Amino acid sequence: MSGSGSSGRRRAVVTGIGVVAPNGVGTEAFWKAVQQGTSVLGPVTREGCERLPLRIAGQVEDGFDPAGLVEDRFLVQTDRFTHFAMAAAELALAEAHVAADPDSPFAIGVVTAAGSGGGEFGQRELQQLWGKGPQFVGPYQSIAWFYAASTGQISIRGGFQGPCGVLANDETGGLDVFAHASRTIRRGTDAMVAGATEAPLAPYSVVCQLGYRELSLADDPRRAYLPFTGDACGYSPAEGGAMFVIEEESTARRRGARVRAVVAGHASTFTGTDGWRNSREGLARAARDALAEARCAPEDVDVVFADALGVPEADQAEVLAIADALGPRAATVPVTAPKTGFGRAYSGASALDAAAAVLALEHGVVPATPNVTEVRHDLDVVTGEARTVPLRTALVLSRGLMGCNAALVLRRDDDGGR
Amino acid sequence: MNDAANAPVHGPVTFDELAALMKGRAGLSVDSSEMASSPATTFEELNLDSLGLLGIVAELENRYGHKIGEEAETCKTPHEFLANVNSQLSAAKA
Repeated sequence: MSGSGSSGRRRAVVTGIGVVAPNGVGTEAFWKAVQQGTSVLGPVTREGCERLPLRIAGQVEDGFDPAGLVEDRFLVQTDRFTHFAMAAAELALAEAHVAADPDSPFAIGVVTAAGSGGGEFGQRELQQLWGKGPQFVGPYQSIAWFYAASTGQISIRGGFQGPCGVLANDETGGLDVFAHASRTIRRGTDAMVAGATEAPLAPYSVVCQLGYRELSLADDPRRAYLPFTGDACGYSPAEGGAMFVIEEESTARRRGARVRAVVAGHASTFTGTDGWRNSREGLARAARDALAEARCAPEDVDVVFADALGVPEADQAEVLAIADALGPRAATVPVTAPKTGFGRAYSGASALDAAAAVLALEHGVVPATPNVTEVRHDLDVVTGEARTVPLRTALVLSRGLMGCNAALVLRRDDDGGR
Repeated sequence: MNDAANAPVHGPVTFDELAALMKGRAGLSVDSSEMASSPATTFEELNLDSLGLLGIVAELENRYGHKIGEEAETCKTPHEFLANVNSQLSAAKA
């Protein structure tokens, strides 16, 4: 990132959060579940998945009704991952009290990340193609299953005609959108609707994941996803994600918006797929650079939201990366991974971690890591109960199965509320 | 091809049927009698985009078992569209 230190620098702040997660829809329900350490991992019940070897996942349950938040005409032409994105965007915009101004439609842009695309919609239409013939494939197939669908539809629906982007770059996309949004704001845009959602539990999408050796095929929801433990056996996938309203600070303050957190620093690296060991250096570098951009020393980090893949070699690499980046602080900083309670929603996972981090900063609470009890590393992983501690700075880490590493530094707002 | 079995074979396609298709294929709630009584109203004003109209044409082709010429997809209003489609379908019958 450019990281120019001029005093006139336009700073990006979070003013709205929208969450659609297996453990709750809306920030209130999500935070309640995260704070209580509720685990909602359970059997995959999606039609067509019965005979697949994946047993446990985090499903967004029937309580999620996109029709209450998004008009039918958008739902008909979009996949479930876009339903999540549009619903989460609507929640975030409502929370931030932001809407497009018809007089300056270019003031707000949209950026989303996705790694799985519209698998359910695509599967349905491809089944029409092979089962009935090409004349039975609906025309919305041409847009619904692409990664870009959510950005496009959020932009169209909200009238957000500012800079728009799509990141299709692995699980880290949910953090990288913060960097993309911050840069866009620095270049003059007032606000960005940014985030990531995934819906990777359609049978077609699940089959695509079966080739990942990191995928947990365990059948006990309490033992399927146990990072940092001797029983680590991979990760449980999930659906859902989070969207944010990210604004230029002075614009937000002028309109009296509540500043939820400051987007203080971000960095990303790439270390390929040649073994998780290599992610150590890449993740450490990302964390260091993100902290440097945020002008934070390692001692300033109050909580780490870990990537927590649940694969022994990857967990070990992450522990070492945290030590490399934070030095002596690594042994004492509270580390958490709330996603062990609801699974990894690919790029949505890191977006959900960012949402949890903002909420943790606001509440002064480090949530626990559900189901994890015996940590086998020299790391203060918060287990059992959530921990109440003053928090100012959160470091969020993410790695992707395809080799991306990213770190995001979020800080509590110091200037507001005075 | 089962869909075709339940529908009238040669039309005409009515405003009711078009409204139902707009609901099913494009998620739009449109009052069919209002549509019938306002010939100037455009698809654009009703929020139906070109992909939505394309889907409706495909559905009608499947229902009536007859190819509908491309000009139907370029119609700007429901009235224009139904006149075009129905003349194509009755020509096919004859």
